[in-house]
Amino acid sequence: MSGSRGRLAAIRATIAALEAGGRPDAGVLPFGDEGLDGRLPGGGLALGRWHEIVGVGLEAETSAAPSAFAALMAAPLAKKGEAVWVLRRDDLWAPGLEGLGFPPERLIQVCARDEAEALAVMEDALGTVGVSAVFGEVEAVDLTAGRRLQLACERRGTTGFVIKRRPFGGTGKAEAAGSVTASRWRVKSAPSEPAADEFGLGAPRFEVALERCRGGRTGAWILEADRAYSWEAGDVAHPLRLVADLGDRELAPASGRRRAA
Amino acid sequence: MKQARRLAAVSREAMALGLHAGQKATDAAALVPDLVTADAEPEADAEALRALVDWCVRFSPAVAADAPDGLFLDISGVSHLWGGEAGMLADFRARLADNGLPFRLAIADTPGAAWALAHYGPDGTIASPGWQGELLRPLPPQALRLDPDAAAQIQRLGLRRVGQLMEIARAPLGRRFGRATLERLDQALGRSAEALAFRRPATPWVARLAFFEPISAPEDMARVTEDVTARLCARLEREGRGGRRFEIAFHRVDGKTPSLAVGLSLAGRDARRIARLLQPRLETVDPGFGIESVTICAYAVEAVSGRQARLDAGQDPAVEDGLAPLVDRLVNRLGPTRVFRARPRESHVPELSVGRDLPLETPTAETPPWDRETPRPVRLFRQPEPLEAVIALTPDDPPSQFRWRGRVHRVRRAEGPERIAREWWKQDIGDVSVRHVRDYYRVEDTGGGRFWLFRSGLYQPDEPARWWLHGLFP
Repeated sequence: MSGSRGRLAAIRATIAALEAGGRPDAGVLPFGDEGLDGRLPGGGLALGRWHEIVGVGLEAETSAAPSAFAALMAAPLAKKGEAVWVLRRDDLWAPGLEGLGFPPERLIQVCARDEAEALAVMEDALGTVGVSAVFGEVEAVDLTAGRRLQLACERRGTTGFVIKRRPFGGTGKAEAAGSVTASRWRVKSAPSEPAADEFGLGAPRFEVALERCRGGRTGAWILEADRAYSWEAGDVAHPLRLVADLGDRELAPASGRRRAA
Repeated sequence: MKQARRLAAVSREAMALGLHAGQKATDAAALVPDLVTADAEPEADAEALRALVDWCVRFSPAVAADAPDGLFLDISGVSHLWGGEAGMLADFRARLADNGLPFRLAIADTPGAAWALAHYGPDGTIASPGWQGELLRPLPPQALRLDPDAAAQIQRLGLRRVGQLMEIARAPLGRRFGRATLERLDQALGRSAEALAFRRPATPWVARLAFFEPISAPEDMARVTEDVTARLCARLEREGRGGRRFEIAFHRVDGKTPSLAVGLSLAGRDARRIARLLQPRLETVDPGFGIESVTICAYAVEAVSGRQARLDAGQDPAVEDGLAPLVDRLVNRLGPTRVFRARPRESHVPELSVGRDLPLETPTAETPPWDRETPRPVRLFRQPEPLEAVIALTPDDPPSQFRWRGRVHRVRRAEGPERIAREWWKQDIGDVSVRHVRDYYRVEDTGGGRFWLFRSGLYQPDEPARWWLHGLFP
């Protein structure tokens, strides 16, 4: 058993080396929870790659939860450099990011006029020194655009976050058959659970499904924005906290990874 | 004075026949029976003068029109491009002559002296620095641009030369002919400064390239853009300065001058970077029959400290500067309103609490950051969207159910109200009304969606409450 596992690990390492093509590894950004990090190659969100975040239902148009999730994933990166957010609809609101713990003073917002321009600006920003994370709201990334983004990410080890967003009332473009994205996250807001003595709503919760992950395994979790809407927002190692594992039990036997709040 | 048609201007030929401007048309017709006259068009003349001023930018960026028929060119710091003032004057003369315009030229230290010499002195006079006084002496007093009354009185007293005025003591001169006369004399002699209204803001930071043959090929234009930028940037580099705005003008053979401008977020003098910002837009420049010279001006020039060349920069020259070139590329491609950084503004009104600054601008006023403890949405609609079929207990309970975009949402949890009113202290007392009050609630529906909604206006028993959705929480 352990022998086959060792061989499997060796093969994985060889494949990873082949995929990297001799590029320097930009490292990973761990979530800080072994259950989640264990599913991701290298034990965290791969840096120097681009990730895809999609919404569910109406959120595919409004993109509140997917954008907030992307911002929270990238918040530790924003502390290291500037972030660029390429918008199609001009409705991102900085005070909301501040409350979640993402520093809006490190964010440059760019309103692109069309899809092609949004992708071009993303590519430009990804290849720039001093930029650590680039967000882009686009409808679809085809294979060519995906490769271009990937090459731009590799130039400086910058991490890209493609937030899929379709125009209001639109049907959206057909999903590309293949994609070079490092991971795809499907994000939905989940009911909050305020503490017993709290009034109103609790901290924002997300139901997150890792649908695709290059060199890793898929999974589903409920994550909470840690310390959101408090003075300590953003002062934590990682602003996302694992609340529950919804993952498929066959691959990962449930071990009750539920941390005390 | 009676209404009479008078000659506004006369041609060289008419002048030879004894006609002069200001003469009555009937007198002129009596002198020259076959006189051809045309109605004066002051607007068209002014328009033509403006065009001539634009054309003159090829010689110096500081050109001021002197209505109705003159112009001033500030050539300090540019004449060396022609190998001296004489060379510049010769080139100017040749180009004006090509256009078929009659003209008189003079160069002097002050606008006043240059005006006097051009109008009353020998054509093409170049007054060496400090010597304009001697050259002005033999000229008539009108050369000082005096107002007609003072000029007439000076004439009556038998003073026929500027030199005679210069010999009168200042106090009696001012008393007798007015302060304006004294002022004009001082301006001509350089004792007091004269402000000219330049057509374009004066900048001493200008570079120019002229070609033997007019160019029009796109690749040539790209190359001269780079060359002329390099020339200007070399000067900026030598003097330790950088510009925030660069304007390049292409002087066409037919006298038109299309131009392009680019802005930088930080003052800079990297010729390649500036040229690269300009080059993609060169296709919008119509070269017409050819471009004979090109000028570039730097504006908002400020001191920029030099930078130590990086030792590891060999692998990629773009490493030198990251963010500033990116912002410049984006701003010049998308426009300055589309690239911004959100900054807090002091206001309770959600729409007014976010300001937009240029990305690399350091905030001028120290505004406290947004309150982290007050939950605010990440998406804020520009126009709040109306909610339908809202079920809510009056007067101030949050809705228990509402319909938005055709979908019914059942509210599971809610927070509020948070009352936000218009800033009544900023407007007229008459405009203040309870309508401009919003009660905001933060609600969560059964599916986990979180919304920021408000009821507009205060509760009125006889009026149905109106509900709006303003933003979305994650």
